[in-house]
Amino acid sequence: MGKFITIGERIHCISPSIREAMNNRNPEPILKRAKAQLDAGADYLDVNIGPAESTGEELMKWAVKLLQSNFDNVPLCLDTANRKAIEAGISVYNRSKGKPIVNSADAGDRIENIDLAAANDAICIALCSKSGVPADNDERMAYCQELLERGMSLGMEETDLWFDPLFLVIKGMQDKQKDVLEAIKMFSDMGLNSTGGLSNVSNGMPKEIRPIMDSAMVAMAMQNGLTSAIVNPCDRRLMETIKSCDIIKDNCLYADSYLEI
Amino acid sequence: MPFKGKAETFNASIATLDIGTGEKTIRLGGQNVLPLYAFDASMENPPRVGVEISDEGLEGYTPKLLEYYAGASDVVSIAKKAAAMEGADFVCLRLDSADPNGKNTSIEDCVKLAKEVCAAIDKPLTIMGSRNVEKDGALFEKLAEALQGENVLLLSAREEDYKKVGASGLAYNQKVGAESAVDINLAKQLNVLLTQLGVAPKNIGMNLGSAAAGYGFEYVASTMERVKSAALSQNDTMLQMPVITPVALETWAVKESIVSESEVPEWGDMEERAIHMETVTAMACLASGSDAVILRHPVSVSKISALIGALL
Repeated sequence: MGKFITIGERIHCISPSIREAMNNRNPEPILKRAKAQLDAGADYLDVNIGPAESTGEELMKWAVKLLQSNFDNVPLCLDTANRKAIEAGISVYNRSKGKPIVNSADAGDRIENIDLAAANDAICIALCSKSGVPADNDERMAYCQELLERGMSLGMEETDLWFDPLFLVIKGMQDKQKDVLEAIKMFSDMGLNSTGGLSNVSNGMPKEIRPIMDSAMVAMAMQNGLTSAIVNPCDRRLMETIKSCDIIKDNCLYADSYLEI
Repeated sequence: MPFKGKAETFNASIATLDIGTGEKTIRLGGQNVLPLYAFDASMENPPRVGVEISDEGLEGYTPKLLEYYAGASDVVSIAKKAAAMEGADFVCLRLDSADPNGKNTSIEDCVKLAKEVCAAIDKPLTIMGSRNVEKDGALFEKLAEALQGENVLLLSAREEDYKKVGASGLAYNQKVGAESAVDINLAKQLNVLLTQLGVAPKNIGMNLGSAAAGYGFEYVASTMERVKSAALSQNDTMLQMPVITPVALETWAVKESIVSESEVPEWGDMEERAIHMETVTAMACLASGSDAVILRHPVSVSKISALIGALL
């Protein structure tokens, strides 16, 4: 197995400074956040431009070119509900460091994002839900199957579908956490890749608790076969946990300085 | 159904390492396949064979070796003959006499000799130190400085002296060999440390250590295999540096190579045995992952070189 893949989540239009930077095409705040995440060890960077209905295509192209030209063609995860904007981003995307990731498809309204990924030889995050939270793992795995079949019928490699079990907030859905872990195990047993918005589990918890909870969750999820996660790479405890789990799982050869690389 | 072979290639590849300059440059590494798996994809650059010589001359050399070097009265002329050996790709000068517990040759004299050898040969040069940590730190600094522009490989930076040797390579733009003794984690760690020091990965080669065949070689083989597997299948950039293995250093020291025929008549000719030990070990190293081997005997050098040619 290869190393766990971290997708840095901090270029997100919900952040006021990023939103402002995207609106005004101001590179500095975006480059600053990109650099901080890459220095902290992010493999991919997520670029969330929000719904961006009117200017999405031009904005995504601008962001892709900005990030890849400044950071040695860093691989990106294109995150928006605007399908045309994702296609526009891919049209200017350099693949030398990795395929683009389409974020995301689901078994509901967004299922056609799989078609988009297949047509553009991209990776696609496949959210195992239709509308809202799946009731149980039977439902989750039915969506998984549906998404997988659709991708494969369009000629995708099954490893290019990264299944998202839908991480759930502990405060409110504590009893569902074991299901999520079990779903990851089932993906892994099928030889499938997986990812997801990990920090959702600690949503609403005190700031000092979140890294602890996220780290525990990622360790348990990695043991069950999680291959990637969308995370805040600037969370040092989390990144140290991921690197340590990579060592324990023999995804990466140990060296005394393993936390520094 | 007809058999359809599937080539086992990887998305990652072994880094390339250039030694020497101009027309006498050799390049190691570059392949994205397992060692010698030329049937899966091109090896890009074939494994290379180096010839070791010592600054102590022909001391302890066997009859056919002495015959080969006949007429070579000093180290520079020995070096010329080594470079001219059939199948030789580079020369490795061992500065054995620099050892403070031996002849303790001065750094100035070592540097002078290395410069003369470098100028006299038409092949790239690698230099092995005295194996004394303190002496080597100072020795490599002066060697690196004096040989600026020659792009030599310094063998080696070890855990104890990587800072000094690495800094010398960095300051004077030479290649640095990172030496560990069949310790896979240390092998990676040394590359990390050298890189943190500022030495670019493309300027690092690895000596993962060796053993003569029959002397724990299985540890060497499994170390090399694990390194290549991490480099290729896990894209571990801290293990993608080409591997250079000083085979002769090991094989010419074991009893099979040094006990005379009069002592053990049933073993037969001593020099033949030594050549066998060297050849067999070298081939096993190449099959396990060495991108270059350093040998002593002309028969071993030409055999191994011919074998590489035949396999690729």
